[in-house]
Amino acid sequence: MYKVVIGLEVHCELKSNSKNFSGAANQYSSDPNTHVATVDLGLPGILPVINEEAVRKSLMIALAMNCEIPSYLIFDRKNYFYPDLPKGYQITQMHHPVGTNGYVMINVDGEDKKVLIHDTHLEEDTASLDHFGNFSLIDYNRCGVPLLETVTEPCLHSAKEAIAFLEALRSIFLYTDTSDARSDMGQMRCDVNVSLMEENAKELGTKVEMKNINSFNNVKLAIEYEIKRQTEILEQGGKILQETRRFDTEDMCTYSMRSKVDAIDYKYFIEPNIPPVKITSKWLEQIKKEIPKLQYERIQEYMTEYGLSRYDATILVKEKSTAEYFEKALQEGGDPKLVANWITSIILGHINKYEISMEEIFVTPKMLIDLIQMVSDGKISSKQGKEVLYQALQEEKEPIKIVEESGMKQIGDDNEILKLCNEVLEEQPQAIEQYKKGRTNILDFLVGQVMKKTKGQANPATTRTTMKEEIERR
Amino acid sequence: MYVDKSIDEIRTSLDNQEVTGKQLFKEAIDKAKEMQPIYNSFVTILDEYQQTKGKTVLNEIPYALKDNFSTKNILTTGSSNILKNYVPVYDATAYRKLKEAGAVLVGKTVLDELAMGGTGTTAHTGIVRNPWDKTRLIGGSSAGSAAAVALGIVPFALGSDTGDSIRKPASFGGVVGFKPTYGRISRYGLFAFASSLDHVGTFTRNVKDTAYVVDVLKGQDEKDMTTLPDDSISYVDMLENEIKGKKLFYIKEACDIENYSDSSDEELLETLKNFHDKLDQLRKIGFEIEGVSIDKNLLNAIYPAYMTISCAEATSNNANLTGIQFGPRGEGKSINDIMFDARTKGFSELIKRRFILGSYILQKENQEKLFLNAGRIRRMIVDKINELFQTYDGMIMPTSGGIAPKFGDKTDQLSDRYLILENHMAIGNFGGFPSITIPSGFVNHMPIGINLTGRVKEDGEVLNMAYKMEEILGMKNIVAKGEKHV
Amino acid sequence: MITKEKLKDYAGKLMFDMDDKEYETLQQEFEIILKQMDLIEKMEGIKEVEPMTFPFPLTHVKWRKDEVTEELTKEEILQNTEAIDKDQVRVPKVVE
Repeated sequence: MYKVVIGLEVHCELKSNSKNFSGAANQYSSDPNTHVATVDLGLPGILPVINEEAVRKSLMIALAMNCEIPSYLIFDRKNYFYPDLPKGYQITQMHHPVGTNGYVMINVDGEDKKVLIHDTHLEEDTASLDHFGNFSLIDYNRCGVPLLETVTEPCLHSAKEAIAFLEALRSIFLYTDTSDARSDMGQMRCDVNVSLMEENAKELGTKVEMKNINSFNNVKLAIEYEIKRQTEILEQGGKILQETRRFDTEDMCTYSMRSKVDAIDYKYFIEPNIPPVKITSKWLEQIKKEIPKLQYERIQEYMTEYGLSRYDATILVKEKSTAEYFEKALQEGGDPKLVANWITSIILGHINKYEISMEEIFVTPKMLIDLIQMVSDGKISSKQGKEVLYQALQEEKEPIKIVEESGMKQIGDDNEILKLCNEVLEEQPQAIEQYKKGRTNILDFLVGQVMKKTKGQANPATTRTTMKEEIERR
Repeated sequence: MYVDKSIDEIRTSLDNQEVTGKQLFKEAIDKAKEMQPIYNSFVTILDEYQQTKGKTVLNEIPYALKDNFSTKNILTTGSSNILKNYVPVYDATAYRKLKEAGAVLVGKTVLDELAMGGTGTTAHTGIVRNPWDKTRLIGGSSAGSAAAVALGIVPFALGSDTGDSIRKPASFGGVVGFKPTYGRISRYGLFAFASSLDHVGTFTRNVKDTAYVVDVLKGQDEKDMTTLPDDSISYVDMLENEIKGKKLFYIKEACDIENYSDSSDEELLETLKNFHDKLDQLRKIGFEIEGVSIDKNLLNAIYPAYMTISCAEATSNNANLTGIQFGPRGEGKSINDIMFDARTKGFSELIKRRFILGSYILQKENQEKLFLNAGRIRRMIVDKINELFQTYDGMIMPTSGGIAPKFGDKTDQLSDRYLILENHMAIGNFGGFPSITIPSGFVNHMPIGINLTGRVKEDGEVLNMAYKMEEILGMKNIVAKGEKHV
Repeated sequence: MITKEKLKDYAGKLMFDMDDKEYETLQQEFEIILKQMDLIEKMEGIKEVEPMTFPFPLTHVKWRKDEVTEELTKEEILQNTEAIDKDQVRVPKVVE
């Protein structure tokens, strides 16, 4: 058995109106070459002008990942020739990333783990290439879109941990509203480094890099394939080559692209057209205040303060809007466990079914709490409550109104129930006989008759007890 | 003839309706065409006059632009084959401002290919000749702009200056060449050579005209992050300020004639003699001037540091020239083949050599010794000059150790004269200092110049001092006669 | 001395080639500049100096507000392109 060591480099496109260094729109378009400025084309004479919002969002992510922040914002050029890079260099941050030495907490199988962040740096996306028979077409719409690259230390040890980290990272982007982080749209892309080492070895094994994997599931498959491939080589006494491999989504295998010998020297140097700007502590404080409570913290809080299970807590924080809904409901005076139960069992089902978001549903946290209160007060049964909630979500009607209009209310009054029970017993003399002969489950039938009379509004528990007492008295 | 006059004179003639903007334009292009077969200063001479509505002193005044400023719908080649058909889709900020001011573009001038060179001999359209002697070069890289102003085709022209690319050809052409503080004029739309050293600047035939043009061009540009906030002062208004008591220094190691006692270089000795004679005259009007000593090792390091930094930045800045999105498409089956072919055919050898040098300098294993050490030298020199600027208001130096060389003249690149006297002006680019060259006399019937460099952001002060000096130097508004093509 | 082969390799990485004779000229240029840089390396105190990138520190640097301010038309984008297909720049197939 070998110890698996994984490091990730995750590129995520930031949300903004305009691009990182130009005034063209940062907006996906299926119509090629529609959101392009002179700067994006690398035309002779152009100069980059940094987008303040992209910097603010990168700093927010860096802070959310507990990174050290440099005192000046400085960019570098990474020089290489490729047709998707019209300037012949990418503006990035090699020497002074917006964040270094941070960490992100994850939980794998109930165990907490600190994933160390080497750095996170702001750069620009490239143009997109579409490949055809013997030619490719270049669309510059994506060129210059702000891109934040986050690099972990080689501190992950399984595909499961890697995926947990990616999910945690995505949640940070979503919670801070800095990116839509959709891997299906290519907004989140991942380079994966995998190496194997002897259990007690001091030095890391030779690393293999897999570039540009665009779904979490493929990251998992690529890691699993590489572990298997490298294990086989090592077990046969072979040596791992330091190389870059490509993950093929057709057959789920990795293929060699280039070896270390061909590694490119990117000739990094400081971008001379962007003067260093001081990142003031005042600004950082302000950004810090804008960071919402993140997923990991909320899970901790829900478990320790509200006594929820990790399972329920995890479901509630999956989307920030759900967590916020939940917390608002608690502020309205809801009981945490009850509220969690109603959200996870009904509301989430509804939004998943209709593929809508929490913000789009009609039922407000206040309405939910009112409904829960009606059930707790015994005004309606919990079964009725569920039906009301479904109806409220579907028909976009206030639960209280639904209850009122349908005349729905629970008959909880003991005398009323007593009267109804006796009415039923009068009508069903043979049932009493059978009961006396030992067929006690006839009780269910009798309770059912009460329910029928009341259109389900009688409190089932009270009805049952009363019916039992009355039948035994006869 | 009006276009060979000063801006003030042309302005008066326009205002008195002795001449129209259209007539001035015609005069300028006629003269440009007449001179073109010999001096070859233009890549493009425009032929259609556009009515202007500017409200500045420059309204209807013709001018020329170096062919590395992006001009929408007007061919802009950078004097390189790799851009020989390139028609920009946007305007450089400097060009836009001149257009808004009402100035009338007459043509785009020849430069050393992509501004990398100091001779005016490497353009894809051929060599530029010196208006004072066609067997001599004018210097570069802003060769055509210098020649066009020297010939009296236009009263002013724009150039760019990375090491001395305005100030050297200005002195060889007997005109005023000014490179303001780094960031005073936007570089947006100027084809980059070495971004941290590149400056936009001007050629004129007198200092007041320089102030007129820079007053229009200066200011913060949201498209160039390195531009300075507006200083909201008119440099023209500062010209008459008192200069009595202004303190200047020159570098003894470069300028003292005793240092060259064993030299047989007559031109050098005469140039230095002119320099010291002129200093005496300047002292008489109130300048206090003295020699200071600077470590010679540091001075000798200016040129290699300049080469190192500029080539490194240039190799990156010109990586956009691949013939893919713009420029002539290379031939070949693969993407690399077509880039390779386009660049092999598109660049001349001189700049290819500089690109290789620059790329070597940036290689991971060489950065510390080459690129970063050059950056350290840059700081040491700039710190030294700034330290002197605490005592002195400016540095005054000969622009060159001699007159414009003849075509084919060889220079000893490692001689003191070459290393220091021919390259000290890069100090102005290292530190972004405002720096001006003014004609100061003739040696062997060829003009020579004096260079004045001042504190960062004190462009107005430098122009003020230069304006006062100009009166003493006696070379104001000179125009080279030039030979007409027969 | 840097060999011609090395220089040719560097040129190749910059996507061009030169005449053989030019590589010899380049070798001489390398020799001169490297000799000068050797001298610089030996200068007293040089290692303690922070390399300089910008001519002087700038205050009041303006960042861009996050607004869409300029977009070129398709015609402008492709105005100087020699090979166009479906409003895009066409190149031989790019394979990684």
